[in-house]
Amino acid sequence: MSVTLERPVAAQPEEPPRRLGPVERLTSTDHKNIGILYCVTAFGFFLVGGALAGLMRVELAEPARQVVSTQAYNTMFTIHGTVMIFLFVAPFGIGLANYLIPLQIGAPDMAFPRLNLTSYWFFAGAGLLILLSGVASTGGGAAMGWYAYTPLSEMRYSPGVGVDLWILGIALVAISNVMGGVNILTTVFLMRAPGMTMWRLPIFTWNMVVTAILGLVAFPPAVAAFALLFIDRRLGGHAFDPLGGGDPALYQHLFWFLGHPEVYILILPFFGIITEVIPVFSRKPLFGYLGLVLATIAIGALSMGVWAHHMFTTGVVNNPFFSAMSLLIAVPTGVKFFAWTGTMWKGKISFTVPMLFALGFLLNFLIGGVTGVMLASAPIDFHMNDSYFVVAHFHYTIMGGSVFAIFAGIYFWFPKMTGAMLRERLGRVVAVLLFVGFNLTFWPQFVLGLRGFPRRYVSYPPDIGFDTPNLVSTFGYFVMFAGVVLFLADVAVSLRRRVPAGDDPWGGNSLEWVTSSPPPDHNFDALRPIRSERPAFDLRHPELAP
Amino acid sequence: MMLALFAFGAISGTIYWFVTYEPAGTFLLWSFSLMPLIVAGYLVLHGAVRARPLEDDPDATPDRAAGQELGTFPAASAWPLVLVLGSITVGASLVYGLLLLPVGLAVTALAVLGLMRESQS
Repeated sequence: MSVTLERPVAAQPEEPPRRLGPVERLTSTDHKNIGILYCVTAFGFFLVGGALAGLMRVELAEPARQVVSTQAYNTMFTIHGTVMIFLFVAPFGIGLANYLIPLQIGAPDMAFPRLNLTSYWFFAGAGLLILLSGVASTGGGAAMGWYAYTPLSEMRYSPGVGVDLWILGIALVAISNVMGGVNILTTVFLMRAPGMTMWRLPIFTWNMVVTAILGLVAFPPAVAAFALLFIDRRLGGHAFDPLGGGDPALYQHLFWFLGHPEVYILILPFFGIITEVIPVFSRKPLFGYLGLVLATIAIGALSMGVWAHHMFTTGVVNNPFFSAMSLLIAVPTGVKFFAWTGTMWKGKISFTVPMLFALGFLLNFLIGGVTGVMLASAPIDFHMNDSYFVVAHFHYTIMGGSVFAIFAGIYFWFPKMTGAMLRERLGRVVAVLLFVGFNLTFWPQFVLGLRGFPRRYVSYPPDIGFDTPNLVSTFGYFVMFAGVVLFLADVAVSLRRRVPAGDDPWGGNSLEWVTSSPPPDHNFDALRPIRSERPAFDLRHPELAP
Repeated sequence: MMLALFAFGAISGTIYWFVTYEPAGTFLLWSFSLMPLIVAGYLVLHGAVRARPLEDDPDATPDRAAGQELGTFPAASAWPLVLVLGSITVGASLVYGLLLLPVGLAVTALAVLGLMRESQS
């Protein structure tokens, strides 16, 4: 094996890294800066969406209506869903991709830095419009639910400008996603370091490639749907208006052709995070690399053919077809669980904070996945549709899955991004609070759904089995709230009283761990030859390298 | 991978048509199959005349890429922010009134020009 370059110097920064000024922070096209901007902004939206969820939980803690008006409640669940899906989880994945992909493939930056910054600003602008659609709208905020079904979202039933601002906001999100997808694909296909073949890419990067393709394919039909809806509302069109000969089912087709792949846009990046974390803290190579990549591609492909399982009860789709396609997704997802379990099997597991969150992810997502298989069966879905069972299932996959993976990723890569460690002991408390709080919040919602509690109801009568699960669920929310507050305190303390992280505090596998923390401009002073999918490990253990 | 995705979209779209005779979903699935076909076509056309790049050579070493130009990486740009402000103003004009439209278009045009000049410098 020829060794031609020195390993990047593992220098411990004696001084905290130089802080960018506000103007520099907002205009720098460096991928690391944009990645951090994405993540911080997205986390800000998480706090907004979480606050709305808190208000809803307080309202539902007791029967009857106490805190908010019916219209305000409708607006809250609309904005909560939109913010969490389009402004928090998906953009957080793009933020991490921005930060990590060039580092993981040995590139100095993303392929199109200005496009990258443009993508970020479109996302931030979209967030502004979507928040405005809820609060600053003459004639009423957007209150039609995050999928804006017609005819409810038509002018006749939603006359306020809130829906229009919401449509514009989502259109900007779509533009941002398409820009981000183009950038990610170009970067991965054309800017890998010599020797970093596609079959040596870290799994996180692989998952972002599939996610980017999904975004490129799924967003344009949805933009078409939103454009037609806008024309219906503002220019007298009738594309989706049944009274004018339009077809509301067509809107549902176009929306869910985005909406269901969007669920995988919300989860695939976080599968990637978990796949990065588990081998490091199991002290074992990843089990089934090829299987994991193929499973990701299979999930991506299948996710394009399952959209109408959201339309089982409309009576206008072929339920067996979509049921079969939806059930098939359990196979590649099972492959992933098998690979994660196989990686941990007989490993030397260390229960650090990232690993605790990864284990929480596995448990939560398993429940979310199994209940997803139940809902993929049309006869069950007819009973559960639009009940709290669906709400619980969705939150077990996205909140219990993606958000736990986000916390795993934050604790895992925070030292790389800032050069400082987060507090381990505090992090464990955060992990426990979030896990307990999450399950207290959402497990009772399965019970509520089975008892027939419909989603999106602002109140309910007492003594018919809804009181106790709702009260427990609200209590669980506040446990999670405490966990998030502690997390923010952890970040603040760790940035103020820095515990230097060093270049590779965990003994990582991928290439970002061979450069300094935080990485220098253009990432690497020098690169060693890449001979496997874990080049950082190869550098630490040349005797084991291929 | 792209050809596999094309085949998946085309086959599942065809099966869907014969199972349901429902045009919207069939069109969406066939459209989905076209995107990877375009990418695959590009790669076949251009990959055929391109030597295997170093990143796809499992034995390549970084020194073989020394001096290779990867592209130009600008340090900072304010135009993306201006472009988005212009786009939002154009969008808002469709909701709040067309008086805002000239302002939005002017700001957007300014941002596009700024980006073009910046990319040439």
